[in-house]
Formats: sequence, C-alpha cells, structure tokens
Amino acid sequence: MSLPLRSNRVIPVLALLALTLLWSLDFVSIQPNRIAPGSGLGLLAAMGPVWALLLTGLLLACALLALRSPRPAYWPILAIVWLLLLQLPLSLAWSIERHIGADLPYARVGIGAGYWSLLFLLGLLLIELQQRLRLSRVWLLGGALVLAALLGWLAQQDWLEPLALLREYQSRRSQFGAALASHLGLVGAAVGSSLLFGGAIALWLQRYPRAQKGSIGLLSFIQTIPSLALFGLLIAPLSYLSAQFPLLQQLNIRGIGWAPALLALIAYSLLPIVRNTCVALQEVEAGVIESARGMGMSPAQVFLQVRLPLAMPLIIEGVRVTSIQAIGLTAVAALIGAGGFGTFIFQGLGQSAMDLIILGALPIIVLALLADGLFSLLGERFSSGARR
Amino acid sequence: MSKLAVLRGGGWPPLLWLALLLAAALGLAELDGLFRLIEPDRRTVIYARAAFIDLLGSHLLLVTLAACVSSLVGVGAAIMVTRRWGADFLPLVSQVASIGQTIPPVAVLALAVPALGFGSGPTLFALMLYGLLPILRNSLAGLRGIDPAVLEAARGMGMAPLQVLCQVELPLALNVILAGIRTSVTINIATAAIGSTIGASTLGDPVISGLVTGNTAFILQGAILIGLLAVAVDSLFEQLQRRAPGTRQAK
Repeated sequence: MSLPLRSNRVIPVLALLALTLLWSLDFVSIQPNRIAPGSGLGLLAAMGPVWALLLTGLLLACALLALRSPRPAYWPILAIVWLLLLQLPLSLAWSIERHIGADLPYARVGIGAGYWSLLFLLGLLLIELQQRLRLSRVWLLGGALVLAALLGWLAQQDWLEPLALLREYQSRRSQFGAALASHLGLVGAAVGSSLLFGGAIALWLQRYPRAQKGSIGLLSFIQTIPSLALFGLLIAPLSYLSAQFPLLQQLNIRGIGWAPALLALIAYSLLPIVRNTCVALQEVEAGVIESARGMGMSPAQVFLQVRLPLAMPLIIEGVRVTSIQAIGLTAVAALIGAGGFGTFIFQGLGQSAMDLIILGALPIIVLALLADGLFSLLGERFSSGARR
Repeated sequence: MSKLAVLRGGGWPPLLWLALLLAAALGLAELDGLFRLIEPDRRTVIYARAAFIDLLGSHLLLVTLAACVSSLVGVGAAIMVTRRWGADFLPLVSQVASIGQTIPPVAVLALAVPALGFGSGPTLFALMLYGLLPILRNSLAGLRGIDPAVLEAARGMGMAPLQVLCQVELPLALNVILAGIRTSVTINIATAAIGSTIGASTLGDPVISGLVTGNTAFILQGAILIGLLAVAVDSLFEQLQRRAPGTRQAK
C-alpha cells in the first residue's frame, strides 16, 4: 500500500486532544506531607505563562505541520515531539522550583492526570510518526534511554527530590532492588526451565506426533485457568508435602512463597514454547533437510546446523510471549508471598498509597515493554541470519 | 447461535462444566466436613462473608458487561479504520492494539486505582480497557484478511457498502472476531478475580481473604470456583466458534 499524498489527519487529532487534556486536567498536585490531601494545579498555575504557552505553541505547530499538503512535514514534527518529550522531566523540576520552597521540607509533588495524558499522547504521536517514516524500533528504544538518562541525572541533582514517586522510591531503595531481583529471578527461572522442559517435550512430540494434539490441548487447558486460581490450587498440596517432608521445609518449599509461584509460572510458560517449537521444527522444508543429508551430514549435524537455526525465529517468538506473560503473572504471585514488584502494588492498595502502587506498576510495564523490544530485535536478527 | 443450537448439536462439554460450576457454587458450602480435613483447627472452614452464588453472579456481571462494551467498541473501531474514510487511523490503531497487549493486565488494574479509586467501577473500567485490545486486534485481522476479490465480487453484484459489511465482511470475519472475544473474556475472568484486591466483589474474595488469614480452605474454595468458571466459559466459546459461519472459509 503506497502512502497517500495528502495531509495527515491523525496527528492534528492527537495534538488537539493533548492540548484539551493539558488545559483541562491537573498538571501536578502538591501535598504538604504524605498524609495531608493534595491540591491540584492546572497547567498555567503549575508552569507559569511562558512555559504553558510554549507547550501550546509546539502542539499547535505539530497539528499545522501535519496539515501541510501534499506531503506532511513529518521530520520537523518528529523533532517537536522529541522536544516535548525531553521537556517532560524538566517541567517537573521547574514546577518544583516554582512551588516548593525551603519552608516545605516534607512537601510532595504528585504527577497529575494532565501530565500523564500528555506523556501518553506523545507516545501515540511517536508511534504514528514511526509508522509514517518507517523508522526502526531501535530509534524508539534509544530515545527512551536518553529520556531515562535525563530523568536519572535530574534525580541525582536533587532537583526532583520532592517528587512523591521518588520519595516512595527513596524510602524503599533496598526493597526496590530486592523486588527487581526476585521479579527477574522468578521470570528467568520460569522461562529458562520451561525452555528446557518445553524443548524436550517438543522434541519428544516430533517422535510421537500422535501425542501432539493431546499435549497441546492439556497445556492450553492450563492456560485458561486464571492465575489466582492456579496459585491457590497449588497452595494446599504444597503445604501438605512440606509438612510431611522436613527436607522440603529446609529448602524453603512451602504452600506460599516462591515454590507455588514458580510451578504455576512454568505451567503457564510451557504452552507458547512447546507450540512454537513444534511448529518451527515442522515447518522446515523437507527439501532443505534432504539436501543437507545429501551433503553427507549426520542426523545430529542436520538438527544442530540446519533445523535448529531455521526454527530459531519462531522459538524466540515463543520465548518473547512467555517472558511477557511471566512478567505479568509474577506481579500476581506477590499475593502468595513470592516477592517482586507486585509486593509494592498490593502494599500500596492496602495502605491506599497511590504513589506506592505506581512505583510497583511502572517497573512492571517497563520490564514487559523491554522484554518485548529485546526479543523482537533478537528474532529479527535471527530471521535475517537464517535467510542469508 | 442460541443456547438451543448448542443443545441440539450435542455440545455437552460446556453444559457439563456449567453444571459442575453451578453445583460447586451451591454445594461447596455444604462440604464442611471435607474442608475441615484441610484446616482441622479452624472455627470456620467455609467462607461465609458472602454466598458463593452471589460472588459468582457479580463476577459474571463484571466480565459480561466488560465483554459487551469492549466488543462493541473494538469491532466498531475496527470497522471504522478499515473503511476508506478512516484508513488514516489504521496504522496507529493496529500498532496500539498490539503494543497495548504487551502491558500486563495487573498493571492496568493497579493503575485504575490512582486514576479512579477503589471499587467495582474502576475494576470494570480496567477490564473494558484491557479487554478491548484482543478484540480490536482480531477484528482488524479478520476484516483485513478477507480476499479483496470477494469484496469486489460483492460490490459487482450491486451490494451497497452497508450490505457488503453486514452480509459479507462481518460473517467472514466472525470466527476470528469470536476468537478475540474469547481471549478477552479469558483474560478478564482472571483479572476480575484479582479485582477483589481493589474492592470489587468477585470470586477472588475467598482467595484473598484466605491468603490474608492463612486459611487454606477459603483459598481452595475460591480457586475451585474461579477455575471452573474459566473452563466453563472457555468451552462455551469453543462450541460457539465451532458453529460460527465462516469456520470452513477461515481455515
């Protein structure tokens, strides 16, 4: 499908929506301390007239540049969108500078709905531009890293110190590290062991194709069982076993904790890996294998040097799906005491501490997006290697 | 696609699961002796803060409402961006539908609280928002996967655009759309169960309460009911998909 040579209607819609939300919702909110209720500040009150007008002007410029006919000015729009993204952390520092003096040592600045809407709509604009300009996803990842570095540098300079999210992080710095470690540990262990078991099952199914339908059926049946139910169903038998065998107790295998979480995660992870590996191994053309045999390769060589590399992109796609799923499920596993970022979410829900909830939810989203980007790139690399 | 059609066609697995689910919802409370084996030292071994059947009802209500709204919005949006006048929005919408599904549903549920507060309303909103994505993605795939020659033929027969949509496109895409709704409902049944941590009353309540008080019997009761609900609804969808027109064309 060729690009139609006319003005773009998507970008003006997004830019005007961003403008409306930016001016009608609170940009930031200020609490004198953790317990006192916060008061919201609109864009003008939070940022002052110069900054507010600058934001408005830049968003209007995006809309106007997109309406240019016959070819919208996509590159200048991209530059403006990045400018708007980069000013996001700076604008927080500026509003803190304007409103929080030395007389408010315990004050907390919360990020308002208007700010989040602007971030979200800028993200949508970026996706739209990436599609129109056919940019590689590496650029998106690089830009996000620059943004994260800027945010980190500002936080280092103590300019963002009153930010509520940062205060929650600072009072839980070691817990945050532990949560990251246990989250990644559980996901890694689950994906790693299901890759091992799933690969073995898939190879076994190659030899006994009649068992394939039944096995995949069983694995998809497990996938339909909600995570909370599966965790719950594992608690009773595991605590029974743990009570019977002291050795298990010494290994810290109990009804709650990492043991039921890991078991459930592996059970969920098997389906994408087994299914994709089976399909991948079967889809390698018979002619390719025949010619490899004809070249005098042994069966082991045919498998390692021909079938496996050709199957790799689909296997990696299975790993991608599995990791994203496991990152989300590990968050739920915090309910049964398995640790991870879900702990912050459920603690925050229990204490009605909104910033703590966000502190738990944001890293989970970032981890999922990172896993998606990483494995997509890896898959692309392998599929281009296979074609060569 | 009524229940009658399922009955006539010998669709017994969904009926069996539904019967089991109903029996469990009504009968679990009577199995005091059985659950006492698991928790011999407790005073109460049957979750009593609400009747299981009521929890099942409100769980189902949440999921059904969310499924109806997100089906309407998802299929509607997919129809709009596949018309000529909405085609500008197609790349963005299809990208958002696929990137959005990367975000874990728990995170969406958790973020609904700072945005909207506690209770059933925010849970419903999170379910609708997240459940929209698989439906949108599958509807787009279904509508765009139709052979252009078929559409050309339909137009050549003198069909109006609305007729082409209702009599050709939607029936041909129905099976793929149904698969999307099935995915959405499966995710939502699981997410609604977790919704009891943000104050919605669902079958997750006994599990959460059991986890808080360390009562394995409560956990087991909730888990059995949630599992049965998910499996029953899933097998119902499987039966529906098997009977949908366009099944053969799609394959």
